[in-house]
Amino acid sequence: MELQSVWGWQPALYLFLGGMGAGAFIMAAILYLKDGQRNARIVCVSMWAAAASLIAGLLLLLMELVTPVRGLMMWQSFSHFTSWMTYGAWGAFGAIAAFGVSAVLATPKAGAWLAEKCSWYAGHEQGVRKAFAVAGIVLGAFVAFYTGMLLMASENVPFWNTMLLPALFTVSAFDTGVALVEVVAIALAKREAIGADAKRFMEKCVVVLVAVEAVVLAAFLGSMLLADAGTPVGAAAAASAGMFVSGQLAVWFWGLVALAGLALPFAMALKGLLAKEGNAEVAAAAAQADASVCADAGACVVAEASVDVPTLVGAIGALVGGCALRFLVLAAGIHADVVADTIMKMIG
Amino acid sequence: MGESVNVTRRTMLAASAAGACALALGTTAVSAKEAAAAGEASPGSDATEVRYGFLTALSRCSGCGRCVEACREGNELSEDTPDRRRVSSFKRSRGRTFFISTSCMHCAEPSCMKVCPAGAISKDEHGVVQVDPNRCIGCKYCFQACPYEVPQYNSVSMDKCDCCQKAGIAIGEEDPYCVRACKFGALKFGPLEELLEATNGSAVPIAEPNDPSCLVLGTE
Repeated sequence: MELQSVWGWQPALYLFLGGMGAGAFIMAAILYLKDGQRNARIVCVSMWAAAASLIAGLLLLLMELVTPVRGLMMWQSFSHFTSWMTYGAWGAFGAIAAFGVSAVLATPKAGAWLAEKCSWYAGHEQGVRKAFAVAGIVLGAFVAFYTGMLLMASENVPFWNTMLLPALFTVSAFDTGVALVEVVAIALAKREAIGADAKRFMEKCVVVLVAVEAVVLAAFLGSMLLADAGTPVGAAAAASAGMFVSGQLAVWFWGLVALAGLALPFAMALKGLLAKEGNAEVAAAAAQADASVCADAGACVVAEASVDVPTLVGAIGALVGGCALRFLVLAAGIHADVVADTIMKMIG
Repeated sequence: MGESVNVTRRTMLAASAAGACALALGTTAVSAKEAAAAGEASPGSDATEVRYGFLTALSRCSGCGRCVEACREGNELSEDTPDRRRVSSFKRSRGRTFFISTSCMHCAEPSCMKVCPAGAISKDEHGVVQVDPNRCIGCKYCFQACPYEVPQYNSVSMDKCDCCQKAGIAIGEEDPYCVRACKFGALKFGPLEELLEATNGSAVPIAEPNDPSCLVLGTE
């Protein structure tokens, strides 16, 4: 069966990067709101990574346009508010602003410079940062949801035309966002060891999000497979889902999405949560010591930290799976052949 | 159960010789009567006054593809612009193959117009769905939204049938180039109600989604 190819790899990667960036910002902002001092470097780098992901995604989307320059004139090109693309463009624009400002304010040198230049900011730093963090969470949640709504609003692609798709992309965005923050934390482990409570919190998030994602994915594919194949819409929906489950996309789906993207992060996060309590206590004590040094001196001590391989493996699996999910959903989005249905009924 | 396939231009030209016998069937040209007032629709708006559309007769279409070629030539489509019209074939379970020529369905409720972020798509007073190439950003969202996979893209913008209006055809005064090129009377253009009346109500909409302005007359 012919795959959808009008939207190529750029929109697919945008859907992934946009969702992942939004999810990563939300996770980083939650870590910041939980504790404004600890994990400061991880929060800062994660926020920069979130903004960079979203910007990269939008640049990819611009590349896909026939006239990219015209696409940059947002006030004209995204002025028709019956389109989800319009809402998405402005939502993503706002999210980039909120992510970017939060990232700048989370950067120690920039924050210190601003506090020095503006006495009002020095007195309200935490309040301002929290306000931008909350705004970023709201806009990030919208962007994550929008990546699914963009496809769902294509009412005549049956595989996309279900609320389960934005639900799936939203959960997957949060899931991949947590994974990105985990990767950042591992990359920064030698400069700032993540707090044990933050690590456990993210592992709990992964377990819950992956479980929810698996349920939504099963409901999504199940509803498509069980669609009435006697109608052109039902037949197209079933054909798309069939590609995933047992057709030409099945190897990629089962290998990258189900195994790498869901089973692996779930198992690794569960492994981390079930680790011996003694290890957790030792890690927590070490992290607290590091955090206090960071907060006092403004710079973190170099800790003797080994790479957290299980978490890294789970996070990379989640990122690969999330990326593959967008490519596969896009590729399987075939139109229902409504004209053929009419004609075949006429000619018998 | 029959099957359907799209026919390439090369195939259609080859089929044209075989279809010549259908000339004997003759043709009854549909004269479009009302010349609607001139005026441009604003971006993303629907200014429909009289709804025009196409009627395609299954038993008359030979699949020759002259309509596709006439459309390209009449509208002076550039090399990088895909065909605006396509001929599809459908094989009956007992053997005979039928052809149908379609282009934009100029739907009453066009999905393309709804999803276009730039408001580059509008409906004029004849119900003809038009794209403004100076506003289109080429995001291809209209293709995904269209039930009939009509929008195509060249290096400038989205491109599709506009009933030859930009090529100088005044709706109600002249037929589009595709209709004029059809030697078998398989393709007609006019106010949708008149097209339906001309078939004594036996033509049916080509499909349900978006209420298309394209009727099909079955095997007579």
